[in-house]
Amino acid sequence: MILTIFKKDIKLFFSDKRAVLLTFLMPILLISLFAFAFGGISGSRQAKKPIKLLVVDIDNSTDSKSVITSLEALSSLAIIPKEIKEATNLVRKGKYVGVLIFEKGFQDSINAGNSLPIELKYDATREIEMRMLQSVLIQNLMSTVGEKSAKAKMSSYFDENFSGMPKAMKEKIFNDMVSGNSNMSASMNNTSLKMTSITKEDTKKGNLGLIQAVAGTAIMMLLFSIAAIGGGLLDEKESGTLKRLFYSPLKPTDILFGKMGAALVLAILQLVVMFVFSWLVFGLPIFKDITALLLMILTTAFAVSSFGIFLVAIAKSRQQLQSLSTIIILTMSAIGGSMIPLFVMPAIMQKIAVVSVNYWGIQGFYDIFWRNLPLIDILPKMGVLVGIGLVMTIISIKLFKKNILKLVDA
Amino acid sequence: MIQVTNLSKSFENIHAVNNISFTIKRGEVFGLLGPNGAGKSTTINMMSTILKSDEGEVYINGNDIKQNPNICKQLIGVVPQEISLYDDFTAYDNLMFWGSLYKIPAKELKHKILEILELIGLIDRKDDLIKTYSGGMKRRINIAAALLHKPEILFLDEPTVGVDPQSRNRIFEIIETLNQQGITIIYTTHYMEEVERLCNRIAIMDSGRIIAQGTQAELQQHSNVKEAVEIAFQSISENQIVQLKEQLQLKISQNNLKLIIECDVNKDLSNIISACNNSNLKIEDIVVKKVNLEAIFLSLTGKQLRD
Repeated sequence: MILTIFKKDIKLFFSDKRAVLLTFLMPILLISLFAFAFGGISGSRQAKKPIKLLVVDIDNSTDSKSVITSLEALSSLAIIPKEIKEATNLVRKGKYVGVLIFEKGFQDSINAGNSLPIELKYDATREIEMRMLQSVLIQNLMSTVGEKSAKAKMSSYFDENFSGMPKAMKEKIFNDMVSGNSNMSASMNNTSLKMTSITKEDTKKGNLGLIQAVAGTAIMMLLFSIAAIGGGLLDEKESGTLKRLFYSPLKPTDILFGKMGAALVLAILQLVVMFVFSWLVFGLPIFKDITALLLMILTTAFAVSSFGIFLVAIAKSRQQLQSLSTIIILTMSAIGGSMIPLFVMPAIMQKIAVVSVNYWGIQGFYDIFWRNLPLIDILPKMGVLVGIGLVMTIISIKLFKKNILKLVDA
Repeated sequence: MIQVTNLSKSFENIHAVNNISFTIKRGEVFGLLGPNGAGKSTTINMMSTILKSDEGEVYINGNDIKQNPNICKQLIGVVPQEISLYDDFTAYDNLMFWGSLYKIPAKELKHKILEILELIGLIDRKDDLIKTYSGGMKRRINIAAALLHKPEILFLDEPTVGVDPQSRNRIFEIIETLNQQGITIIYTTHYMEEVERLCNRIAIMDSGRIIAQGTQAELQQHSNVKEAVEIAFQSISENQIVQLKEQLQLKISQNNLKLIIECDVNKDLSNIISACNNSNLKIEDIVVKKVNLEAIFLSLTGKQLRD
């Protein structure tokens, strides 16, 4: 008897495609995504692309050029010379990880044995790349100008404190230090790299984690709620009220636009409530640029509600919508940075992220709260969101018309 | 008022409606009678403009439904087979919603809603959520929602499915009242007793075709089904049957100890009983077999209406 029940349940399970999909495909998909996001894919399979680094050489000296040349020789970096203003703007907009600035007096400082005026201004939203850059740059500085700088500092130290020391003795002590035989080497090392987050300069209240949590979660949850709201159309189809609407003088597009309008308004409302809550409870500075925030909420709500309606348009029943929306929304959220911040993902994932509506929304909110970009610089992202919304709306209308006719024919 | 000519609709290889034609006059209650799958709902869907026909024409008050669907939609009200209401709205809110789709001025609509709620006997429950209603009450609101824009024609697609006899009677009364108010009714059902009670004229549908149409008397004539009495006797002989046939001059058939005599029951019954006495036949039981649609349908299609 137990075996009979067992067989029946197994048979029932495999006859339910949705259950099979959710049980096997969904976890496989998410495991793959997370593994990929956290760099779990074997390094040998991934072609590592160099990190693009902007360089501003204000010193324009032999030593600064020598460092830049040695950096250019590294396969892990792609050096792009720029002017200071443009370079800083590009990093602030999130186009590049950072800009390495050789300040005036770089060479003089090496020769004098002083601290080196060299600074890496970086985008803190790309933390992993920034850490890699920091490590590569410090190693490179050590190997190119570290010895010269340390020797100059030591020489200056000896001249100050031991003016009568013979030159041969100075050389011996220095050689010992370089070969690591003396613990003085660390104290003589001037090749430190000043690290400055380019956004934190301007942000008093900025909290990357909070912005990520609010924007990422808000957009993901919005997708779920819009899919649920849009699913009302499928309920109407099943209950017969949709058919009754067709008996009235309404056009099918009237019904669709009415539904979309309701979804859009609820999406706006949901986002507003989430941001107000984040302001009240967590202190998110929502009034920093209220115009940009409102526009961002509007465009995100439009894109997300259209995407949610699109999910409804491709589903034929409430059950199908549930499976579809779970799979697609979780995938989009994982790719787009709602679940895992994009800045901890590998570069390849950050590139793939652009296919997700979540990405554009989250990045737009980063621009407002973290990068402090003016509205004009956020408009392109808003434009992408509007574009996504329009494309999804057009596809949804076509699909709905097709499905609506089917509904009546049935 | 409604002219349907050579109307056809197929879904893939199935002829749901196959070249049907009929006319409905103003003020009539016209019944579309047929078993499930006969094509009644498809016909209603085409006549109510929401389904395009493959062939044929439908004119409502002289308006081609393909050319002027919106004029036709204003003329008709449709009560769908499903209870198409919002469960989480009150009856009043449901009616407000469905009425507002016809752009009826708010004041007029409110007045009309109350009037219709009075008519269907649910004015006291107007502020209750639909989900708290019984099946029969929901059916009545389902009808009310189709009346708000004062249609001249009302399509009722199996409006009594799943309701108890009491609610069914209430629905019949509502339909009769609406018809008395001048509304032309098109009524689909597979319950013959509903058609017998309500309809002036009937079209019998089977497998997408209209196999007969007319008044019940015309259908009876068309089908050749006659009224009869079935008389059971204690015993009966061949001689007695011959005597009886000679006396009555009616068509008589035998079924064991029963005789089935085709006749005009009102006119011939007393003569039949006298003839039986004259032939020394002791009557045990008499059953009058009136001609009904069930019998006509059986005669015309060779199958039961609920097959």
